[in-house]
Amino acid sequence: MTTTEVRGGGLSGAVAAEWTKFWSVRATWWCLIAGTALMLFYGTLSGIAQRFDDDPQAANTIALGGGFYLTQFAVIALATLFVTSEYAGGGIRSTLLWTPVRERVVLSKAAILLPVLFAYGVVLSCAGMALSGAVMAGHGLPTTLEGGFTTTFGMGGYFALLGLLCTGIGWALRSAAGTLVTVIVLLVPLPLIVASLGLPELVSYFPGIAGVNAMVEAGQLNPITQAAAPYAPWVGLLICAAWAAAALVTGAAVLRRRDA
Amino acid sequence: MITLRGLTKRYGEKTVVDGLTCDIASGQVTGFLGPNGAGKSTTMRMTVGLDHPQEGEVLVGGRRYAELRHPLREVGALLDAKALHPGRSAGKHLTAMARSNGIATSRVEEVLATVGLSDVAGKRAGQFSLGMGQRLGIAGALLGDPGTLMFDEPVNGLDPDGVRWVRQLMRSLAAEGRTVFVSSHLMSEMQLTADHLIVIGKGKLLADAPVAEFIAGNSRTTVSVRVPAEGERSKLDARLRAEGASTHPGDPDELVVDGLDVTRVGDLVHELGIRVHRLAERTASLEQAYMELTASSVEYGVSA
Repeated sequence: MTTTEVRGGGLSGAVAAEWTKFWSVRATWWCLIAGTALMLFYGTLSGIAQRFDDDPQAANTIALGGGFYLTQFAVIALATLFVTSEYAGGGIRSTLLWTPVRERVVLSKAAILLPVLFAYGVVLSCAGMALSGAVMAGHGLPTTLEGGFTTTFGMGGYFALLGLLCTGIGWALRSAAGTLVTVIVLLVPLPLIVASLGLPELVSYFPGIAGVNAMVEAGQLNPITQAAAPYAPWVGLLICAAWAAAALVTGAAVLRRRDA
Repeated sequence: MITLRGLTKRYGEKTVVDGLTCDIASGQVTGFLGPNGAGKSTTMRMTVGLDHPQEGEVLVGGRRYAELRHPLREVGALLDAKALHPGRSAGKHLTAMARSNGIATSRVEEVLATVGLSDVAGKRAGQFSLGMGQRLGIAGALLGDPGTLMFDEPVNGLDPDGVRWVRQLMRSLAAEGRTVFVSSHLMSEMQLTADHLIVIGKGKLLADAPVAEFIAGNSRTTVSVRVPAEGERSKLDARLRAEGASTHPGDPDELVVDGLDVTRVGDLVHELGIRVHRLAERTASLEQAYMELTASSVEYGVSA
């Protein structure tokens, strides 16, 4: 009853609470470990393949492949569960008691994922490049400094923004299954469908392809689409950021209006 | 102090809370009663901003819950013991809660000790029994040392010791001058715990009165007389009816008298020279009073 102290609480309190919540469930650790294992697995296998393959690749291209084909799904699961687990057990009612200004809840989860997933992407990109480079042992193509840097920074940025996209959709849909399906369809099949409908120029503006473009040095081929991006790598991240922002605005609007 | 002003909540066509206006005062335990589906939980959820009312408002200490800078330091609420992530430990759950409102994390151990969960602080909340979950919810409500406390069915799943503990906790919180607002369907428990009652039915306010006044106003006190000899019993029965009382048989040998007080019945018995084995006043319970009041307002009742 004695509330003389007026510090804490508000947005910073919400972020501190989410930080504790993020690290105190097993799902977080499992996703991070699984994503790491997938990257190391892909890096090793692709590095070995370079010794026999007649399609030589650089180590950063292999890390990009590990990130896009495998590790990003662990990132998607992590970010999705961070939001939808609130609805699986009714935890959202506690969360909103603690932080009744609902936009703050959306912001605070984003504020946790942004730095954590950026660092995760940077570390895994470096690890994937180092491992596959060592396994290739002189085979494949050399990694340029610029290429390596673009892949590393691009993967950090892509994972972070992909995480925010998942939270935004998670707030809007409130279910893990619905969110996972929506995000995965948005990343892979939808660009293919759009391309086959005769609008291939739009493909580069979907979040997954834009994310890969952000990891490829300007002027080089995107290994997924086999085409060079029509924009610079940083624009790729800007496109991902626009998708994430749209999802977060939608998610926050749904959360604000609905009863918990 | 909680203030409800014309509070109204509709789900589609159905009005769940219908223009509720009342004040819940500090320094006493206010019981919140009503049949299932009467709108008790919805009212409590609106108080803490989980549900949005269509009309009216509910204020805590004069402000809306969402406007409070540190809501947990002003309002402690146990609404649903399962409102947490089952995979997180009780201690981490409360730690996150404390951090959200700038509450010292040392409070976590204090409240866990208060509710008797110190030994299982590291256990995942999903493995808790219903009773342990309720205790964890109460720990959360106490965490910010708030002036207003709200409990929705707090004794659900608690053993008799736990029920008694909750009763004493509510009484002591009110004695410290806090506002204590508690819903329950256990009438006998409410009669022991509450000072004041708010009763709703189909979302509307049915009563807002002190417990004693509520019981007196919604039920009648009867007199029970046991007369072993049948002849004497009918003689007394006839005399009581002549005095304007209504009577009906109770247990074997018993007459239940409605409409005369125990003194008058005693005088008549003496006057007739009848041998009695018992002469007692029967005070109605809260349960009887509640049943009479809400008889017409049962949402999911069994039709006879």
